Amino acid sequence: MSLLSKLEEAALCLKAGKVTLPYPADPQPAPEQFRGRPIFDGSKCIGCAGCANNCPAREILIYDVSQEIRILQYLGRRCTYCGRCAEVCPEKAITMSRDFESATNRIGDLAQRLELFMSTCQRCGRCFKPTSTLEELKMKGYRFDDLQNERGIFRSQSHLEGNAVVDDVEIELD
Amino acid sequence: MIARDMFEQFKQRFGAVIRRADLPSDNRLFVFIDPSSVKHVCGHIFRELDARYVASIGVDDRPYSGKFLVSHNFAFDKDHLLCSVLAYLPSGEPRIDSISEIVPAASWAEREMRDLIGIEPVGHRYPKRLVLPDGWPEGNHPLRKDVPWNEVPDGFDESREFQFDDPPEGCTVVPFGPFHPTLDEPAHFRLYVEGEMVRGCEYRGFMVHRGIEKLAESVMSYNDIPMLAERICGICGCVHNVAYVQAVEEAAGLKPPPRAEYIRTIMLELERLHSHLLWVGLAGHIIGFDTLFMQSFRIREPIMWMAEKISGNRKTYALCVVGGVRWNVTPEIKAELCQVLDKLESEWQAVVAAVSHDKNIQRRTCGIGVADAALVKSAGLLGPVARAAGVDIDCRRDHPHAAYDRVAFDVITETGGDVWSRVLVRMKEVFESIRIIRQCLEKMEDGPLTLEIENELPIGRMGLSSVEAPRGESHHFVITGENHRPRRWRVRAPTYQNLQGVPAMIKDQPFADMTISLGSIDPCFSCTDRLETIDLRSGSVKVWSQKELLKLTQAKKA
Amino acid sequence: MHVLRAIAGGLANAGIIVLIAPLAQGILRKLIARIQSRQGPPLLQPYFDLLKLLGKEDLESGEFPLMQRFAAYLSLATVLTVACFVPIGFAVPMNGAGDVIVLIYLLTLCGISTLLAGLAAGSTYSLLGISREVTTMISLEPLFAIAIIVGALHAGSLRLDPVLRGSVWISSGIPWSGLIMLVLMFLAFPAFVQRVPFDISEAETELMEGPLAEYSGPKLALFKYAQMAKLIIYSALFVTLFVPWGSELVFPIAWLFFWTKVFGLVLLVTLIAATHARYRLDQAIRTFAGFIGIAFVALILASYGH
Repeated sequence: MSLLSKLEEAALCLKAGKVTLPYPADPQPAPEQFRGRPIFDGSKCIGCAGCANNCPAREILIYDVSQEIRILQYLGRRCTYCGRCAEVCPEKAITMSRDFESATNRIGDLAQRLELFMSTCQRCGRCFKPTSTLEELKMKGYRFDDLQNERGIFRSQSHLEGNAVVDDVEIELD
Repeated sequence: MIARDMFEQFKQRFGAVIRRADLPSDNRLFVFIDPSSVKHVCGHIFRELDARYVASIGVDDRPYSGKFLVSHNFAFDKDHLLCSVLAYLPSGEPRIDSISEIVPAASWAEREMRDLIGIEPVGHRYPKRLVLPDGWPEGNHPLRKDVPWNEVPDGFDESREFQFDDPPEGCTVVPFGPFHPTLDEPAHFRLYVEGEMVRGCEYRGFMVHRGIEKLAESVMSYNDIPMLAERICGICGCVHNVAYVQAVEEAAGLKPPPRAEYIRTIMLELERLHSHLLWVGLAGHIIGFDTLFMQSFRIREPIMWMAEKISGNRKTYALCVVGGVRWNVTPEIKAELCQVLDKLESEWQAVVAAVSHDKNIQRRTCGIGVADAALVKSAGLLGPVARAAGVDIDCRRDHPHAAYDRVAFDVITETGGDVWSRVLVRMKEVFESIRIIRQCLEKMEDGPLTLEIENELPIGRMGLSSVEAPRGESHHFVITGENHRPRRWRVRAPTYQNLQGVPAMIKDQPFADMTISLGSIDPCFSCTDRLETIDLRSGSVKVWSQKELLKLTQAKKA
Repeated sequence: MHVLRAIAGGLANAGIIVLIAPLAQGILRKLIARIQSRQGPPLLQPYFDLLKLLGKEDLESGEFPLMQRFAAYLSLATVLTVACFVPIGFAVPMNGAGDVIVLIYLLTLCGISTLLAGLAAGSTYSLLGISREVTTMISLEPLFAIAIIVGALHAGSLRLDPVLRGSVWISSGIPWSGLIMLVLMFLAFPAFVQRVPFDISEAETELMEGPLAEYSGPKLALFKYAQMAKLIIYSALFVTLFVPWGSELVFPIAWLFFWTKVFGLVLLVTLIAATHARYRLDQAIRTFAGFIGIAFVALILASYGH
């Protein structure tokens, strides 16, 4: 009988020991290069929409609310964590974090929304972003200690009524 | 023999029907012929010239040339040549002679052409729906250019059912799937069982058809598609990623830098390692040997960690862009990878030794699911299934791509043609993969990872790419197009061909062996299915709430 | 008085087996997990599994819901009844209540409850499953019956107490029949307790869903429990029939010996289960048929007193 070979197999297995990791009791962080949830940094973003153009899942949407406000919304539903957005961003405003524990039952939890205050081009009237935050603040005369207006981002909601809201995604795709 | 010489041969034999020929390189040949002589030409290539059938593709070319296009692809493995026989069909009622009588392996591809593009294969033995759901309205062919990618068709007929053939005499019908514990993905095998023996089978699949090709043509761009391609399959993603990018690079005449080619090779082989180890475990699980399953997965885990360190993810490497790769292999990673490979090799040698002498496993796998060399040729079987039958084909050697022409490796073949031979082939291929990775790590040159591509890619060029997936040859066909996206992209995964051989493999065998026979081709239904399911029931998209689902499952049967 | 004591003894017997059966299963699962290099469930997990199943909604489904209920009740009932008889280190509690024939029939009845379960479901797969179960039972149960009968022949009686005391070893010379039956029963033991390599027909299959496909909730708990109890019961029967030595000692030590042997047998079954693949039905039947052939030789030898 192949009894001996079976005993050998059993010995082989037992030698390897126990490999079960006590996750989630013990946290198991992902390695450095892990492509987890992308984090969008509004202070660096210049609203170029390079990420939106290169997202294979078309999950980053750019929406010009008015002449000066551009909304960049990362919806995060179909995001495949490919990292193209982070790769093409000229300002390195997007980082692929190591966060993979992002299960949720509210679809809006994963969305990130940047409201960008942009200057307008004097010739064509379309948005573009000036070079520094200070410039923005000076232009609009904001007070530096006004927390609501930190980073020069204009957070008025009034003109956004009836438009897309973070939790209930209503923006038309494509 | 290079393409030019092969073309001379063609010209001699049927020069009269050749309209045009493109020879973009020494190992690619595109021959445009009269549609009426397609059977004659393909028959000659398949039989007299002993080529291997690869794929058949239908293209809706009406916006550009006003016609439909059909392509039958063949491979001359010994000559390292991929040959495409193309024919333009007038728009209107496109029809072409079916070649499935001469080349049974083309049966599914022609049914797919019929479903998705509406090109009727005249004389096909089995002209039933393959890809589209049964209720899909007639005349609506999704891959045609005038059908929008997000259309939900009117007239979806819920009550229509697939017409199965009658069972042979004396057989009962045993439905296998779409829900079955052994299958990870839905597929329906309608088995005709007489007592314990399976006498025949009919397959209805494509339940997870996802619309990938249509998406790629409509809304994605060249560099988006690799991310989509790698999600075609749950295990062999890197293969599709690389194959697509290679096809585009070939069509556009780009050559990626050498370092990128080595990195692509390393990732492809890493994928082959983890896939084969997974399969050996899965085979053990199917025959009830769970310990082999657990041990294979334990041994395989360090490879997944290495892949995560190199590319950022255990399986979806997101490796390629057109013109290069995105991740680098640093010296630290190289050192760690060498360690991992050494450990893997020693552990796997112990497992191979144990399994090779294991009579218990052999009793369940010897003589089962036999596919001999004749079946391999006629059904176009690929990969370890073919190599286990003694047919010596391997795209890494026959159609060198990435850095395979610069590394040395053996192609493992066995002669049994049964499940046991496939087990042996896959187990031994692990060692060859390790060998290739070590050579790549040594020979890898420094240099850029991607090409700087300044101009838009040329339009209307064709590219073919055959990459050896763990399951066999994965073949991609790309026609470049406007707006930075391809006009047509066809993926022919190896399981597409291997599944066509399954009915012959399970015939006249005990029913209990059906699962291990099916499992031995290493089926990857997601690779096969590729396209979209709009909700099968009503043609509309319905999102079921948890409460509704709960009610559905708890409904008491009448 | 005597009757009351016997009944109390039988119930206590059954009670102890009821309590310990899931623990044996827990040890088996833990050991298999360790061989597979993983942590495995806690030892008391089967108790929690049963509790969980008992707490679920009790659904009726399948073709014959009434038979579905009945099959579940039957399986537990037969197992509990046998548990009253099986000696667990003491003398057989209800010695006068039945003889070995009752034992054999009760165990067969337990197998029949699985058949009824599959019939109640009525689906193709469950019917295929029970056809395999029947085939296996036909070739397997006789082996156990022959073992018992060999013991009965040697002991000269069909009563439980004389037979279940290592009666196979009673012999005028070298106990050939005892040795043969020991080897055969040991090799076929995994089949009796539905473990790899012989667990073809039971719910463990991936080959098909099996006869227990339509079961969930409390009814499934009954079947699962019957499976767990069968492991202990068959082990106990095996030990008392074939390795009874040490039972003459003083009470605590004899008991410990007994349970050590039983758990030792469980360990061996585990080792075999962890290192083998499942046999196909025809391969298993051929094996069993061979075993029965040899068992008949043992029977003939036993009738001549060897």
